[in-house]
Amino acid sequence: MSKFFRHRRCYALQILLLCLLAPGPAMAEPLRRGLGPEPDSLDIHQAQGLAALQVLRDTHEGLLSLDAAGELMPGVAESWRQSDDGLRLEFTLREDAQWSNGDPLTADDFIRGWQRALAPESQARTASLLLPVRGAQAVIEGRAAAATLAISAPGPHRLSVELERPTPWFLELLTHPVTFPLHAQLGASVRERPVNGAFLLQEHVPRAYLRLQRNPRFHSVHEVALEQVEYVPIEDPGTELSQFRAGALHITETIPPGRHDWLAENYADALRVAPYMGSFWLGLNLSRPPLANKPGLRRALSLAIDREVLTRVVMGAGEQPAWSLVPDGLAGYQTPQEPARRWSDQQRLQRARTLYERAGYSEQKPLRIQLRFNTSATHRRMAVAVAAMWKQALGVRTELLHEEWKVFVNNRAQGTLTQVFRGGWIADYADPVSFLELFRSDDALNSSFYRNQDYDQLLEDAATAAAGQRLALLRQAEQLLLRDTPVIPLYTYVSRHLVDPRVRGFINNPRDVHLSRHLTLGAP
Amino acid sequence: MRQQSLLRHAGQRLLGVLPTLLLLITVVFFLMRIAPGGPFDSEKALPPDIQANLEAKYHLDEPLLQQYFRYLGQILVLDFGPSFQYKDWTVNELIAQGFPVSLTIGGFAMLLGFLVGVTVGVLSALRQNTAADYATMGFAMLGVSIPNFVVAPVLILLFAVYAGWLPAGGWDGGWRSAVLPVITLALPVIAYIARLMRGSMIEMLHSNFIRTARAKGLPEWHVILRHALKPALLPVISYMGPATAALITGSVVIERIFAIPGLGSYFVQGALNRDYTLVMGVVIFYGFLIIMLNFIVDMLYSILNPKIRYEER
Repeated sequence: MSKFFRHRRCYALQILLLCLLAPGPAMAEPLRRGLGPEPDSLDIHQAQGLAALQVLRDTHEGLLSLDAAGELMPGVAESWRQSDDGLRLEFTLREDAQWSNGDPLTADDFIRGWQRALAPESQARTASLLLPVRGAQAVIEGRAAAATLAISAPGPHRLSVELERPTPWFLELLTHPVTFPLHAQLGASVRERPVNGAFLLQEHVPRAYLRLQRNPRFHSVHEVALEQVEYVPIEDPGTELSQFRAGALHITETIPPGRHDWLAENYADALRVAPYMGSFWLGLNLSRPPLANKPGLRRALSLAIDREVLTRVVMGAGEQPAWSLVPDGLAGYQTPQEPARRWSDQQRLQRARTLYERAGYSEQKPLRIQLRFNTSATHRRMAVAVAAMWKQALGVRTELLHEEWKVFVNNRAQGTLTQVFRGGWIADYADPVSFLELFRSDDALNSSFYRNQDYDQLLEDAATAAAGQRLALLRQAEQLLLRDTPVIPLYTYVSRHLVDPRVRGFINNPRDVHLSRHLTLGAP
Repeated sequence: MRQQSLLRHAGQRLLGVLPTLLLLITVVFFLMRIAPGGPFDSEKALPPDIQANLEAKYHLDEPLLQQYFRYLGQILVLDFGPSFQYKDWTVNELIAQGFPVSLTIGGFAMLLGFLVGVTVGVLSALRQNTAADYATMGFAMLGVSIPNFVVAPVLILLFAVYAGWLPAGGWDGGWRSAVLPVITLALPVIAYIARLMRGSMIEMLHSNFIRTARAKGLPEWHVILRHALKPALLPVISYMGPATAALITGSVVIERIFAIPGLGSYFVQGALNRDYTLVMGVVIFYGFLIIMLNFIVDMLYSILNPKIRYEER
């Protein structure tokens, strides 16, 4: 026993000496990034959560990729051509693209990936993103074989895809992991499969860390500055902040609620708050009393909420007050102007009261309503504030109900209990359609049960309209939606990070995607 | 003769483990299924064919009773199945990764709690009703009543953020990342054990056999260590059984605040995500541990306390 220890100590001493004598740092410092929750899966077809997608974008690459500013750039495809009608895409793949085990990466790997993603038996969770591809609907429903999908390889490095209808955001989908290529070697566990991205997964201890190592076979490896990246899953934002302050993290996933002002004061050079393509709103159930067939009442409820106070005082994490559904500036889209935005508080509340009384409610006969949200401290703050504003402005009696996430999601989708409920959306792709189609009459996510044929028609027209016309039609649709008020937009999301000033190449962008291959870590 | 009946008793108790576990499995299995919502419910509903295939993969399309018996069959070969939430891992893998972490932290916290708690309790009892006694017991009261989600961030702030001596959280397997969580976990244990120990020690010191020992002229340290300590430990021992089981299976709060990949979070995460297999796995594991530790406590009891005998009926 004592011999063993002596031996160990000797070993440790040697290492210590080596470290002291070694010329310069033998191993580069890894970039340590907070990840939020543990990724749900690192299988490109099973991953759903943002954490998993973030890691997969570092370890894999699709036809297209995103640059440091979050804009589209060539990935495995070095160039592409779209036909004039927008229905046919031709990609030319890089000849030097290869898998981490040295196998060449060809068009067949993409075909294999897409076919498997859509085949019902592979249970891919985000497969519906591929629905714009011709034949995808039939495959996902199990009515046709995967081979009928309109994707083909005219050559080993050429890929041809046909679409069902013009889809302006299709190229962006090609940066989503569900569209990534799939190596033929499938039997091994996910962690052992070859990858084609800038980094390799070296070690993964669930809920402790994911250690990524630069992939020497990545086609642009000479442009990748970091040797190692360590993703650290930390669920609690307070813990993440402590770790950042202690110097154990270079980039955090978020900031704790209510700490924005303090951080802006004390960590001004690290705090990064930027618009994000997500909206937060209150949904109103139009299929049940008391809100069915009462657009005036719904509008009164909307007008009674002071978004400025809500975002600045109650939420306090840099959120932007919103009067419209679609965040401003998505793909060149201009949100409709809401007159209330320019009104004084008094005008706004006066109008709210008038509409409220016109709907048949008063001090003596107040509206009683339920506001439902999923259990979370942040949502509770929001709900309490909204209920207080309604009470103060109109005398509405609000009952706050919070439910566990799974229960809440079910109730919201069924719509047999809900009246007012927490809603929100983070766009899958930077296009207003991602938000607007949630309120199409037949959309599964339309939990307001908004049914308006004119609205559906406008979306339909926009889908086939020429590029110049499209955004104008979408704007009309949103105008209609806001007039009918099946939702009360409250604010648009922001991305929030603390980024060590030593990190270079971290550029704020509305997609909030920051691939590690574009980042560098300066000397301390 | 005594040893033989002890063994017999041990055997009987061990046999009783099986029906207890079976009851536990049954109750948890059906409770989980009664909870509204399922593992695949999310904001975005899955296409029906994909949903159906997922359910078939996890056998959720079978009648409940069939699922139950299938699960029992799996447990017999110690296979807890794949996790619904962490899709790349099996529940066995997750427990195998998480338990050593929880065991390390919980084990050291228990050890620290026991050593410090017993010492403080004994010293307090010997100086009963002095200033030192009131001070330590006041401190112990504080230890019991201040929740660990208050203690932990304060420790982090002091030792990690300001002083920079220890990591602010996370787990790399080294001792440095274990220090703060162990202390945070141990504080209430120290406090609780100290109070228990003080009470039972005072009681012992006033009992007749101690008076006899003193009357025989034995040195005071001898009286305390050889005669009073052993029986005075009994309430502490019986507290330690379930407490150890709770500590070494991880604490949700500690794991969250220190970002530690232990077992504790799986209880909560698993239940919220309707991760049926994960919840079942950790509950059975926890149940087994608590039964075994209680068993050990019982055995220790009969060794420490000559009054407890397991005679044949």
